Amino acid sequence: MTGAGNYVGDLKVAGCLDAAFVRSTVAHGRLLAVDTSAAAEVDGVVGAWSAADLGDDLAFVPPFFPSAGGEDPRRCAALAVDRVRYVGEPLAVIVGTDRYVAEDGADAVRVDIDPLPALVDPGEAAASSTWLFDGVDNVATEMEFGTPIDDEVWQRAAVVVEGAYRQPRLAPTPMEPRAILAVPQPDGQLTVWVSHQAPHRLRRDLASALGLDAERIRVRVADSGGAFGTKSGTFAEYLSVVGLAVKLGRPVRWLEDRAETLSGSTHGRGQNQRVRLAADENGRMLALALEVDADVGAYPNTGFVAAETGQAAAGVYLTPNVHARIRVVVTNTTPTAPYRGAGRPEQVYAVERTVDLLARRLGMDPAELRRRNFIPPEAFPYHSPTGRVFDSGQYELALDKALELVDYTHWREEQQRRRRSGSERPLGIGLCSFTERSGLEQAPMANEWASVDVAPDGSVTARVGTCSTGQSHETVFPELVARTLGIPPGRVSLIEGDTDETAQGIGTFGSRSMQVGGAALHRAALELIEEARRRAGEPDARYADGTVITGQRSWTLAELAAASPEPLRAGGVYDTPAAFPFGTYVAVVEVDRELGNVRVLRLVAVDDCGVAVDPEIVEDQTRGGIVQGLGQALYEVMPYDDQGVPQADGLLGYLLPTIGELPPISLDTTVTPNPNTALGAKGAGEAGCIGTPPAIVNAVIDALGPQPAGTATDIGGMQLPLTPETCWLAAAGQEVAR
Amino acid sequence: MKPAPFDYTAPAELSDAVTALAERPETARVLAGGQSLVLEMHYRRERPALLVDINNVRELDTITADGDALRVGALARHRAFETPTVAPGALGRLLSRVSPLIAHPPVRARGTMAGSLAWANPVSEWCATAVALDAGIELTGPAGSRLVGAGEFFLGPFRTARQPDEILTSVRLPLLPGAETGTVGVGFCEQHRTHASFAQVAVVAVLTLRDGVIVEARLGLAGAADRPVRAHEAERHLVGREPEPDVFAQAAALAAAGADPLSEPHAGVEYRRHVIGVLVRRALVQAREDSESADFFSGAGRDGHDGWEAR
Amino acid sequence: MTGRIPVRLTVNETPYDVTVEPRRLLADVLREDCDLTGTKLGCEHGVCGSCTVLVDGEGVRSCLMFAVQCAGRDIRTVEGLTADGELHAFQEAISAEHGLQCGFCTAGFVMLVVGALQEDPTIAEDPERLDGLLASNLCRCTGYEGIRRAVLRVYGKDGTRQENGTAED
Ligand SMILES: Cc1cc2nc3c(=O)[nH]c(=O)nc-3n(C[C@H](O)[C@H](O)[C@H](O)COP(=O)(O)OP(=O)(O)OC[C@H]3O[C@@H](n4cnc5c(N)ncnc54)[C@H](O)[C@@H]3O)c2cc1C
Ligand code: FES
Ligand code: FES
Repeated sequence: MTGAGNYVGDLKVAGCLDAAFVRSTVAHGRLLAVDTSAAAEVDGVVGAWSAADLGDDLAFVPPFFPSAGGEDPRRCAALAVDRVRYVGEPLAVIVGTDRYVAEDGADAVRVDIDPLPALVDPGEAAASSTWLFDGVDNVATEMEFGTPIDDEVWQRAAVVVEGAYRQPRLAPTPMEPRAILAVPQPDGQLTVWVSHQAPHRLRRDLASALGLDAERIRVRVADSGGAFGTKSGTFAEYLSVVGLAVKLGRPVRWLEDRAETLSGSTHGRGQNQRVRLAADENGRMLALALEVDADVGAYPNTGFVAAETGQAAAGVYLTPNVHARIRVVVTNTTPTAPYRGAGRPEQVYAVERTVDLLARRLGMDPAELRRRNFIPPEAFPYHSPTGRVFDSGQYELALDKALELVDYTHWREEQQRRRRSGSERPLGIGLCSFTERSGLEQAPMANEWASVDVAPDGSVTARVGTCSTGQSHETVFPELVARTLGIPPGRVSLIEGDTDETAQGIGTFGSRSMQVGGAALHRAALELIEEARRRAGEPDARYADGTVITGQRSWTLAELAAASPEPLRAGGVYDTPAAFPFGTYVAVVEVDRELGNVRVLRLVAVDDCGVAVDPEIVEDQTRGGIVQGLGQALYEVMPYDDQGVPQADGLLGYLLPTIGELPPISLDTTVTPNPNTALGAKGAGEAGCIGTPPAIVNAVIDALGPQPAGTATDIGGMQLPLTPETCWLAAAGQEVAR
Repeated sequence: MKPAPFDYTAPAELSDAVTALAERPETARVLAGGQSLVLEMHYRRERPALLVDINNVRELDTITADGDALRVGALARHRAFETPTVAPGALGRLLSRVSPLIAHPPVRARGTMAGSLAWANPVSEWCATAVALDAGIELTGPAGSRLVGAGEFFLGPFRTARQPDEILTSVRLPLLPGAETGTVGVGFCEQHRTHASFAQVAVVAVLTLRDGVIVEARLGLAGAADRPVRAHEAERHLVGREPEPDVFAQAAALAAAGADPLSEPHAGVEYRRHVIGVLVRRALVQAREDSESADFFSGAGRDGHDGWEAR
Repeated sequence: MTGRIPVRLTVNETPYDVTVEPRRLLADVLREDCDLTGTKLGCEHGVCGSCTVLVDGEGVRSCLMFAVQCAGRDIRTVEGLTADGELHAFQEAISAEHGLQCGFCTAGFVMLVVGALQEDPTIAEDPERLDGLLASNLCRCTGYEGIRRAVLRVYGKDGTRQENGTAED
């Protein structure tokens, strides 16, 4: 805020070189030649390399989940070899004395590509005889959750509705694009400064991909200008930058620019979905089937995003039969990766739109329909048909609170009034009830490392394996440790995001930091109190306000730390199972039917993320998420043409909401503690972009209704984002309202 | 996203700028506000060998009433037009409705009206304003100055009648006096997606009314063709008629039918055509309302040179 | 004129003599040549506003100006607000009101707001004008609410702003 931040680009290292990449402008093709000779001649350019120039030094991105049997047929090289698979794929790297000359060098590289048919849609790619990778088809993974639903169930049901939805590709767009700086030290050590969410994994991957000794690499997370999931990978570019720094023995940095990040980094979402939902005449859900073609882009490193969509399939509803089939498909587009919510927004969107469709079909109030189907509080822990164990929830409570906060009855009356008047802008109300998942269920990622040390002067150092990319850990974590130890927060300092200082760590994603990292610190602090008692030789002594107390005497933490050369420390790896925050969002919109413009009049969010450790910071995360959700609902999409060329290369094409686009937003919470941690906290941070898009879309459809009676399908209907053109078409009944 | 290398000169005299530009007209570019040119240079879609920066040419930084026109020098920034007092009467009101919809304050602090015309983006608000008003565009080259009408100036997307060795030195916007001819009302509407985006379509409407009848109509459209255009047929339809809803609707339909918009990712041709119709109608309604209030507050509204500040 | 050009920049009232290629952006010269890294580059095409600085008192995009254009002009960056070691009232407020998370956009918002409200504090009294101003810049983290509250805290009706533009707390 003072301007004294230390983002990677702010670090001043003498003699540092800048890297720039030559990227493919063709979506799919045979790479015939990459000629870097002229680039190497450009004034100020230190060197230019293609994959061919690197020869055996070419590195490959280590797979996220190492495969058992031999070389991955779909592996991704640091620089493309023989074949290009998406626009934005790195073909050559140029290193120069500054970014200007590095770009001059990039300009001088000549590339020859023989185009192949481009596959842009995952459904088409799955069916196509053109394969992105020789010898393997385009379906990278197929997954199934739950058991297939008997035909009889559909036939017997009083109503069956069906929807087909497209989740557009989103560019996560942190304000700071990716950034890395590799500094080789004279003693053979290597320091890597990076804007990243998972430094320990990055260190491991850099070591294995580049054949370096992990012990000699120190990964340090600098101040980070936002991440939202897009800074968790081990990127091809990072391998080039670190590899060249080592090769040249000079510091090299790469500060990605906005044009390259929009198609060169990662995208989020990108699914084709088909949902079938059956209910009895009272609206009780009988079966839900979800089919997804998940577009993983050119290199399939992140199939787990789509798994989440399948595993969560039925969401907050008690549905006896649930089946999800997920195909993860490669296409000639930017690789997809987790983006805020990662799999949950997709699932919630598919289900919540279909629930509204069912409500319309039954002529039932959508709030009432939801109420009838929620998993009731007494059913927890709830084992879902797709194999998920939900920890706790009071879904109806959140719904009721949201309806009250927005004044649902008032808006329904207003809606009727406007419908009768005929002339005014139609108004609609949309709901979204959801559960998200924070933390991870998979065993190796359900835990986090933390430690707490006391120095002889009484100062406390907390270390944790998560890292802050805008989640205010530096405020929250020290406060949490201080509160646990009963000492002033000013005495606690936090170290995270430095692989030399933290023994290990999983990182920050899946809204896991507070729940998992916070819980780990909390438990480390509790263990420290035990350790202090042991040191005092009084295992049963009282502990309060940083002091071990018996009837006769007392010891401060500082005294105990000073009493022995052994550090006063506790720490380790702490398991925390996944948790399931939930909530209900309500949007009220009006639509200018003539132009198709949507105006959100109110947005109400009721979230339950257990016992909030710092409610203000949870609220900040929620607001940020809501605005991203608003963007997803109305503005954001990375469009591709038929040739696989992305149609936005800047922020005049890829639109983010400004403050001018914001509706009045009201937030509230319910509190259902996490039964699995002492703190009772569940993760926070992703709900906003999960709850907002379906609420807005449902509201717009509600405004443009009433739909013709008997509507059973919503296929080929309104798709995200709801551009004015989309809404105009819908209002004119040309595409939707079938 | 860093510009390719170039040579740079920033003379203080117009004549020196003209000479510098004339030395290598094909590869040199004039640098005004830089809010389009520098952006294009970042993408290296523009790679001028020489930039002739005119920002030091003080004589271009003027806005003056010159007979029956407002003479806007090449360095007048978008920002200068945010308040209606920038020009007398209806012209001031129009310009102050248009300006706030161009980009946002930091861009308006640098970008120029002349630069917008020279750049000729088909969705530029100023370009639509210039054609609506039949602005005169003053071009100064080694051979001297010439005046080109806005109707002939725009040749296509980012293409104009300006010769590479000419500097666009001023824009002459006719004042909209009204007094003798009638009451002038102005309207401006645009469709954009967020506060950060360019318009998809923008419509400038100027109506002159006498005794409840339209005696002159001007409609300038952005986003309706490969360049800014006037909706001549719609204008002809309006003249001689009363400013009534169905007359406006007919004019709107004519304007939409006559449009030949370009497609873009989130606004296909049909949608844009439709939007043109809607916005023409809304801008006409605004213009009628504006004329009514202008009539009411006659003074400043009608001929009001008072309340107007020259710069 | 080819090659590098010597330029004297006056940034936060301090002269900097630099020799730069004409193509170097004001933002890059501030960051790399003057070591004033508070100004950020988030898009390099005028949209995000992370690079907003004041030139002759007006908020402008330093990614859309060349340093050579700024000789003899009064340039202010975020570092200039804290010259005496104390945060500017608006910086205090933006922190107190949770107007930042990752902080990358913050310097740009600070300069945008300080520049505009110094010139015309009444902007804070009109919600529409205030949104019109704040819509100049992008923040991907906060949802903007804290930034808006921070403006009102300092410049609003009951704000802490005093005549000299600094605040009590
Ligand atoms: C984020 C952003 C949003 C924007 N939004 C809008 C918008 O909504 N509407 C809109 O209309 N514009 C918008 N713009 C563009 C802005 O209005 C520019 O200022 C304008 O298009 C060009 O004016 P300029 O003075 O900056 O010209 P420059 O960028 O300096 O020049 C543009 C072109 O015109 C030439 N040129 C400029 N002046 C002269 C002259 N006097 N003689 C000869 N040639 C000249 C240049 O050589 C160059 O080719 C936006 C820009 C940005 C960065
Ligand atoms: S970096 Fe200048 S506006 Fe984004
Ligand atoms: S705080 Fe991260 S972009 Fe604004």
